[in-house]
Amino acid sequence: MTTTGLGDPSVARRLDAALPPSQIKVRNLWRDAFNRLIRNRLSMMGLFVTLFFVALAITGPSLAPYSYQQQSLRRANEMPSREHLLGTDDLGRDFLSRLMWGAQTAMLVATVVTGIAAVLGVVLGGIAAYRGGWVDWIVGRLVDVTQSIPTIMLAILVDATLQKSVTNLFKQMYTSTGLEVFKGSLVINYLVTMSAIAFVTWPTYARLIRSQILSIREREYVEAARSVGASSGRILMRHIVPNALGPIIVAATFGFSSAMILEASLSYLGLGIQPPAASWGGMINDNMFQWRVRPYLVMLPALVLAVATLAINFLGDGLNDALNPRSRVSSGPK
Amino acid sequence: MARYLLNRLLTTIPVIFIVLMLTFTLGFYAPGDPIVLIYNENLSNMTPEDLERLRNQYGLNRPYWEQYVDYMGKVLRGDLGVSIATKLPVTQMIRQALPISVTLGLAAGAVLILLGIPLGVLAAMRHNSWVDYTIVGTSMVFRTIPVFVLGPMLMIVLILQLKLLDVPLGWKGLFHQQTILPIALLAAAPLADVIRQTRVAVLEVLSHDYVRTAQAKGLKTWVIITSHVLRNALLPVVTSLGLIVNALIHGSVFIDRIFTLGGFGEVVINSIKLLDIPVILGTTIFSTLLVIVANLLVDLVYPFIDPRVRL
Repeated sequence: MTTTGLGDPSVARRLDAALPPSQIKVRNLWRDAFNRLIRNRLSMMGLFVTLFFVALAITGPSLAPYSYQQQSLRRANEMPSREHLLGTDDLGRDFLSRLMWGAQTAMLVATVVTGIAAVLGVVLGGIAAYRGGWVDWIVGRLVDVTQSIPTIMLAILVDATLQKSVTNLFKQMYTSTGLEVFKGSLVINYLVTMSAIAFVTWPTYARLIRSQILSIREREYVEAARSVGASSGRILMRHIVPNALGPIIVAATFGFSSAMILEASLSYLGLGIQPPAASWGGMINDNMFQWRVRPYLVMLPALVLAVATLAINFLGDGLNDALNPRSRVSSGPK
Repeated sequence: MARYLLNRLLTTIPVIFIVLMLTFTLGFYAPGDPIVLIYNENLSNMTPEDLERLRNQYGLNRPYWEQYVDYMGKVLRGDLGVSIATKLPVTQMIRQALPISVTLGLAAGAVLILLGIPLGVLAAMRHNSWVDYTIVGTSMVFRTIPVFVLGPMLMIVLILQLKLLDVPLGWKGLFHQQTILPIALLAAAPLADVIRQTRVAVLEVLSHDYVRTAQAKGLKTWVIITSHVLRNALLPVVTSLGLIVNALIHGSVFIDRIFTLGGFGEVVINSIKLLDIPVILGTTIFSTLLVIVANLLVDLVYPFIDPRVRL
């Protein structure tokens, strides 16, 4: 997949000579990757849908006609109308507004989780690869262990135990200090959910980083750099980091969607984000009891969640093809 | 050979110990005095001295390490503690629920084999055609969408719109019409893995010389597939047993939540509702052991079914 014609150096030179310097096209890794990405229709669609959800997460709460928790029992279970475009749920909350707030929950949790898990994974995986020996052994076993426990069970376990302890801790802190910070149960709830999900997802990143560093370190160009006397810091910043970045970006994209699914899963099971906060998974669970009578209350959050996760995964596939063209396996439709 | 088996077993043991340490630590620092939780009803007529005596009796005043070793011994003897809510041993709760989940799991496994392998072979035979893309694409969509999203969607479409099935709640045996949806949902996610594994393996085998020889001597395609390709292509599928068991456990939790089947997942669900930590711990350990055993089994059996693997 080279840009037609421009890949040939002689053609490029001739073109360069003909053009004024300001118009010479600079080819670099990122521009090439971007060109490959925009040629992939499915992942462009994924990109736009993802961007739509990001925009919704940022603007949703201010655009939403009602608050996510504004109840009105007199107007419960209404069908769609002018005032409530998607009707109301059993507590009389505007359904459209809750869907929009749900985007914020999903994106916020997924973003923070991906951030924490990626940093944790990069640091631990990096240390393991660089130090080797017993450090590597310990990180390796930690990764093995967290990956051998079924993800959902570990997430449930960590969430359940943390939920109890952190709530107790905050209660104590509130009674002893009287600070408002320790009062909000919403903050605790988000913190606990995020840490539980980050706890089960970091090994993916650690394993990836470790293997990336170990394999890139043995490449010829690193050997060349070392032989001309480049410092290990320079090798790390100029060679290892740029080469490992592609796989990490791809892993983070897939990690983002799996963090989103885990949040929805925990919320669906009654852990995770607690009502009245709006979470798509929680909304499926809350409205499941009336799926026969008003199926769209279940169908809509389910559809939104499905579309969002699929879009992010399509984007991830495209990014993988664009950033790691060599590792490409002909696994799916292009 | 014996050395390989021993080695493989020895690497599993530290993992099990660290898993137990992790779960024990989470349970150890989880709030809630076990004594208070166990003697909830009789708490009012107990003095602090009584509580202290009971704590000593249950060995809850001992240091972390001592309790950990004790706990490890208990788990190895098959004792996973007692539920706070039902007062029943966790092992007994799991044992009661397990037959339903195992039946469903085996049925889903059969679906995976009967559907996944032919589809994988088909995708490989029609490599890079629309058939291939459709099979791989669709199965990936089913793998991405979580069960609790797919389940309600299918229920709404199949039951409310198309009126094909009844409300599938409760467990009425394997051969009841209500069991179709749970099995389909259980198989939906790991299906993509089986298809992908088969597809890649068949593509790999197809490029071998002996397949070309078989074609050259005029064998029919299906004979080549069944007698030459499939035998060799099935090996990598066996490797994904651990993955499948993992997916089935994951699916069980959500399937039982949707359909209230009373299986393993239901034990987990009920323990979440009440934050019944011993049960959450017990079910986690049990499912982890299941996955570890599945992986171990694959590694132990693999050399026997693939003679090329030299140890």
